[in-house]
Amino acid sequence: MGRIALHGVTKNFGDTEVIRPLDLEIEDGEFVVFVGPSGCGKSTLLRLIAGLEDVTAGRIEIDGTDATGVPPAKRGLAMVFQSYALYPHMSVRKNIAFPMRMAGIDKVEQNRRIDAAAAALNLTDYLDRRPGQLSGGQRQRVAIGRAIVREPAAFLFDEPLSNLDAALRVGMRMEISELHTRLKTTMVYVTHDQVEAMTMADKIVVLQDGVIEQVGSPLDLYREPRNLFVAGFIGSPKMNLMTGDEAVRRGATTFGIRPEHIIASPSEGLWQGTVGVSEHLGSDTFFHVHMKDHPAPITVRAGGEVSLHHGDTIYLTPDETRIHRFDVQGMRLT
Amino acid sequence: MATKASRSAARVMIAPSVLLLLGWMLIPLALTLYFSVLRYNLLMPGANPFVGVENYTYFLTDPAFTDAIINTLLLVGGVLTITVLGGIALAILLDQPMWGQGIVRILVIAPFFVMPTVSALVWKNMFMNPVNGLFAYLAKAIGMQPFDFFAAAPLASIIGIVSWQWLPFATLILLTAMQSLDSEQLEAAEMDGAGPLARFRHIMLPHMARAITVVILIQTIFLLSIFAEILVTTNGGPGTASTNLTFLVYAESLLRFDVGTGSAGGVVAIILANIVAIFLMRMIGKNLDT
Ligand SMILES: Nc1ncnc2c1ncn2[C@@H]1O[C@H](COP(=O)(O)OP(=O)(O)OP(=O)(O)O)[C@@H](O)[C@H]1O
Ligand SMILES: [Mg+2]
Repeated sequence: MGRIALHGVTKNFGDTEVIRPLDLEIEDGEFVVFVGPSGCGKSTLLRLIAGLEDVTAGRIEIDGTDATGVPPAKRGLAMVFQSYALYPHMSVRKNIAFPMRMAGIDKVEQNRRIDAAAAALNLTDYLDRRPGQLSGGQRQRVAIGRAIVREPAAFLFDEPLSNLDAALRVGMRMEISELHTRLKTTMVYVTHDQVEAMTMADKIVVLQDGVIEQVGSPLDLYREPRNLFVAGFIGSPKMNLMTGDEAVRRGATTFGIRPEHIIASPSEGLWQGTVGVSEHLGSDTFFHVHMKDHPAPITVRAGGEVSLHHGDTIYLTPDETRIHRFDVQGMRLT
Repeated sequence: MATKASRSAARVMIAPSVLLLLGWMLIPLALTLYFSVLRYNLLMPGANPFVGVENYTYFLTDPAFTDAIINTLLLVGGVLTITVLGGIALAILLDQPMWGQGIVRILVIAPFFVMPTVSALVWKNMFMNPVNGLFAYLAKAIGMQPFDFFAAAPLASIIGIVSWQWLPFATLILLTAMQSLDSEQLEAAEMDGAGPLARFRHIMLPHMARAITVVILIQTIFLLSIFAEILVTTNGGPGTASTNLTFLVYAESLLRFDVGTGSAGGVVAIILANIVAIFLMRMIGKNLDT
């Protein structure tokens, strides 16, 4: 079981309020991702759940019982740190065994769980090495192995993939997702990479300045961002945001349209502009289009083989059913 | 310094200092070896005939020699035990966030800057003196007999003084080691269910192992040749109760003006120091590799 609930949780470091009063429900077995820009309080929130920091006010419940004052070891949660935090003087086997040793689990059971974890994480050949003799991805897997063997109620991950290169990151992303489907244990995952959030999460929590901006499934957030911040943060490349006449005509202060919801054409369309930078990815091409009465370039997705070049005239037509409208406060209009 | 020319130029350039250092070490060593096989007493001027190993036999069979060896080992062992254990404790304490940390750290380091003769004199006259000392005063204040440190427990008193001097060194090195410990490792251990003692035993201590090795090696080198503290406090006495090897060599050669035996003692001391060094390296040097 791994149901976690936060009620009115706040955290201050001295005079700075890092987490504003915050409520959050995490269901058993859910994969929840905290996402937000650097310094918004994601790690702090995770550490509050882990018990590594004390809450300034509010209550944390795990499986329905109050865990606010419970020490980290007693919460039944396992954490994977950004720096992996492996014990450098112990072999991989001893690293993985450490939490079980502390819990006084007998040797036979320890070895059974270590072998199972090592097999699942492809670590069997490395069990006798020290962490210093492993690659980044292998260290990451050891850290996960050390978390798995405790059979925790929930896993907490703090940017576990940020030290890995791009290819490895995609691989590990899959492995963690797979692990989640297999174990069906609650996972709370912190990242500032919205692609990771979109691909892995059952539920995304978007944070900014210690405030939850929106909670929802990846597609909810994609389809109906609650405000301008979420609209700009979720989706890659970013949503185009326009103000002025075009927005007023649609009854909003700001309106947004995603690059993939604009039809580009060399001959006809609603808006006219000139092509600036273009990014050819093979499958897709992204054009940065400059329009006369709009300062920021508009990003547009076109098919992979559209041949338009720098300086060419381009016509754009937004899909009016997929526009997002926001009021003066930046909140979504329905 | 990659080309042949620059490398040989470098060799020529550093040659003078290498030669100087070599001379600096070799000449005294050679002279000591030479004197150690002569009958050479300053009170009996005249010929200094070659006597072979006589000086060595005399020095090694002297009952004071066995005492000196035991005292040297007790002194080194005692001070190492106290400073390493105390250093670990202080390092962990000083690593905690607390009020006035900066000042406390400077205060802890301070004894290291006091000269050995001075600190020994301060301890002897101001603290351990059975009549005027602070300890005697305290003992009297609670109605006890003052304890005459240097008469009743001379070696233990010297171990105390030397430990006081070396504790800051151990603390400083171990504190730096503590500060380089990744706090996420401690947090990970905490989440893994390790209590304070288990965290100390399984995370902090292994992390400090290398620093502890360095402390033991460096201190042993210096502690084998403790001299000033003994000279100004007990003068090696009573009897030979606080005479270590260094002091015995001094007593032989300078108090009895016997250069030959003194030199033989010096050579013995060098050999013993090297044996200890090799032994130490074997025992804990492997900590330095990993
Ligand atoms: N121990 C601390 N003392 C004081 N301020 C802190 C402390 N830890 C974090 N903060 C502050 O709290 C805020 C949130 O920090 P946090 O580490 O949670 O950010 P984050 O969202 O994890 O960012 P990143 O993505 O860069 O890791 C930051 O402004 C940071 O400066
Ligand atoms: Mg962080």
